Amino acid sequence: MVVKRGVKKSEVAAVLEKLIEKSGSLTGLLITKEGVSFAEAGDTSYLNTTAMAALVAGMFSATREVARLVGEDQFSILLQQGENRHIHISLIQDSGMMVVIFEGYERIGRVRHEARKTGEELSKMITDKEEKRQEESREKKEKGEGIIATSQFKEYALNAIDRIFETR
Amino acid sequence: MPHINYEDKELVFKIVYYGPGLSGKTTNLVYIHNALDRDKRGDIIVLDTEEERTLFFDFFPLHLGRIEGYQVKFNMFTVPGQVYYEASRRLILEGADGVVFVADSALSRMEENIESFLMLQNNLESFGVDWRVFPITLQYNKRDLPLLIPLGSIEKRLGLNGMPVTESVATDGTGVMETIRLASRLVIERFQI
Ligand SMILES: Nc1nc2c(ncn2[C@@H]2O[C@H](COP(=O)(O)OP(=O)(O)OP(=O)(O)O)[C@@H](O)[C@H]2O)c(=O)[nH]1
Ligand SMILES: [Mg+2]
Repeated sequence: MVVKRGVKKSEVAAVLEKLIEKSGSLTGLLITKEGVSFAEAGDTSYLNTTAMAALVAGMFSATREVARLVGEDQFSILLQQGENRHIHISLIQDSGMMVVIFEGYERIGRVRHEARKTGEELSKMITDKEEKRQEESREKKEKGEGIIATSQFKEYALNAIDRIFETR
Repeated sequence: MPHINYEDKELVFKIVYYGPGLSGKTTNLVYIHNALDRDKRGDIIVLDTEEERTLFFDFFPLHLGRIEGYQVKFNMFTVPGQVYYEASRRLILEGADGVVFVADSALSRMEENIESFLMLQNNLESFGVDWRVFPITLQYNKRDLPLLIPLGSIEKRLGLNGMPVTESVATDGTGVMETIRLASRLVIERFQI
């Protein structure tokens, strides 16, 4: 997982929003390696972002294997050209993916340029926060606190599971 | 470790159905998807070949509901079981919080089950995951067949114990919900943060 605790979704979305605006694109997403959409910007009304995140993550890991076969570590950019809509995907810090959906292939130069800048910005945000997070989690561990996985949480979750998967 | 979004209070676990080719992984997932209420599930994605063999993965998101302020989800995946899709299998398994191992109970498929389980252990190890403490639920599927491997034979061959074990006939749904119930319970019980 790239997008760690401490990196705010709204901060990432604001950075993506700027990218969408400057490049004249339709939609921007930041997706984790596990295939979860972390932040979204622009128009997402036409898009099943959950499915999109799972598929793009799969695509990117498949591409990594293809890269290895030809002696590369990874192809850092994937470009999918369609009839009307196109997708620019770039790797952020080896485990997150930034997806930009745009119309009009003549925009590709701008999209590429803005995506590179935004990618650097996001990388920096993630690294800075990650250092802080590790510190925090060390402190928490020392104090022996559970953040979410409390016995209360588990009890409720287990009850929900029993209800949903009850054999009918 | 599950994906956590502290701002939106969202917690996403990944559950992977693993096992040899044609053992019934996709059948399990499709059955669960159909059995769930609409508000508990997102669309299912099936990436298969013309012969309905899984090519890359099957997937759907399952919404457990809001628990202690957190929206809890399970992202449900199957891997392709065919031997030559090893690279894809590894990719999908990465980051899993729990695994359902779907074994094919046909007597003739014993060695495929063993080989696949060893591959699972291998893959988990390569991610730095200790498979001895990792949540794995073992499902003996196809219990409707005439010639069956005995329950317990896979664990015995591999020297495993303490794993939850279920019996199923995925084609008619028998044991399918019980398997995912035990598997997701195990994931929650082992979860720490
Ligand atoms: N008799 C019997 N057949 C089953 C059972 N479960 C699945 N099948 C059949 O076995 C075949 C393979 O099932 P799938 O669910 O596609 O198997 P899979 O594990 O996803 O296979 P791959 O995607 O190739 O790895 C199908 O024809 C199913 O109908 C079962 O419990 N009993
Ligand atoms: Mg399948």
